[in-house]
Amino acid sequence: MSTTETKSKMRTKTKVLIGLGTYLAIAIALLLIFGNDGKNEDFKPQNEFKLPAWVHLQVGPIDLSINRAVFYLALASALTIITMTYIAKRMAQKPNRVQTGVELSYELVKNNILGDNLGPGVAKRWFPFIATLFFFIWFSNMIGFIPLPTNTEETFNVFGLEIPSFAIYAATANISIPIVLTLVVWISYHVEGIRAKGFLPYLKSWLPPGLENMSPIGRAAIFVIEVISHFVRLISLSVRLFANILAGHLLLLFMGGGLAVLLGIAALGALTFPLAFVFFIFEVGLVATLQAFIFSTLSAIYIGGATSASH
Amino acid sequence: MDLSPLAAVTDEGVKGAGKAIALGVGAGLGSIGAGIGVGFIFGKEIESVARQPEMKSELESIRWLGFALTEAVAFYTFIFGLIAFFLS
Repeated sequence: MSTTETKSKMRTKTKVLIGLGTYLAIAIALLLIFGNDGKNEDFKPQNEFKLPAWVHLQVGPIDLSINRAVFYLALASALTIITMTYIAKRMAQKPNRVQTGVELSYELVKNNILGDNLGPGVAKRWFPFIATLFFFIWFSNMIGFIPLPTNTEETFNVFGLEIPSFAIYAATANISIPIVLTLVVWISYHVEGIRAKGFLPYLKSWLPPGLENMSPIGRAAIFVIEVISHFVRLISLSVRLFANILAGHLLLLFMGGGLAVLLGIAALGALTFPLAFVFFIFEVGLVATLQAFIFSTLSAIYIGGATSASH
Repeated sequence: MDLSPLAAVTDEGVKGAGKAIALGVGAGLGSIGAGIGVGFIFGKEIESVARQPEMKSELESIRWLGFALTEAVAFYTFIFGLIAFFLS
């Protein structure tokens, strides 16, 4: 290594250090100028996830009001249906970029999600279901990171028009939607298992193989554990999706200024705001797609486990 | 001497402190295990690719599956901490 190279490397290091130092100095200067306004009691972070009813609909004891979550749900379904049918109708020999992208994601579902998890006959029957799950969750996660004017509690005025504040919200950040998707998967894999094996053989197949010589009491105990594990799937599958998306949105909220407002320290915003960008890229680039992938992969694994001959 | 207002204030303070501890312990300690787990998955994957580079594409999807399953544990604790902090 020549001396000039070491010099330039040293220079980059000093440059980075000077940059970081200036940045910290600006933050400290802001702290000194604006100071601490004390804890802000008016700002409630949980209100960002409140669902004020837009159209009141009450059927008996069930509240069917149209609210933000319903809007996002409808948007995600419409996007899923429209993009997929549009691309399918306009299949060209020479695909353009969008068609290539959709074909790639189609192949991802076929090879990576269904892959070896399902037998060939079952895979053919359940491919539409798993693919729809994947694309629906993907669309609902992705539109959750686009700011839309949906926060009707807080409005701002543009030329006399009361426009709802721009907010980010995802249908999947509400526990009800993941739990309904999970219930659909849960019921369908049991139904498919019973259809493939019959009721009693299906229940018997829950027991892991290699227990033939065990006493009936021991086998019953293991069967109880297996029953519990099937019910735990309900919680783990839904809470995983819900918690990931909610935690992502909360991180963005707090880093993008919520923490500074909550604690009343304006200078904190200067430090957390760049982090909000980092987390936004992490959420959009990785978590949104990954959670859709995980949800559909686990659904495929569950259906495959229920239908395959061995446990 | 009537101590009930003082008791009420202390009670409120203890409750707030308990909630803050619930969030801190839940989200903070809970992340330790998930962090170790995620590191383990990526470390093992790097090791496997170093041993058998031709398996790289197959290991990729398994890696993401393992990563997401482990990472979710951190979020479970975070969400339950938040429930304890804001909703109780």
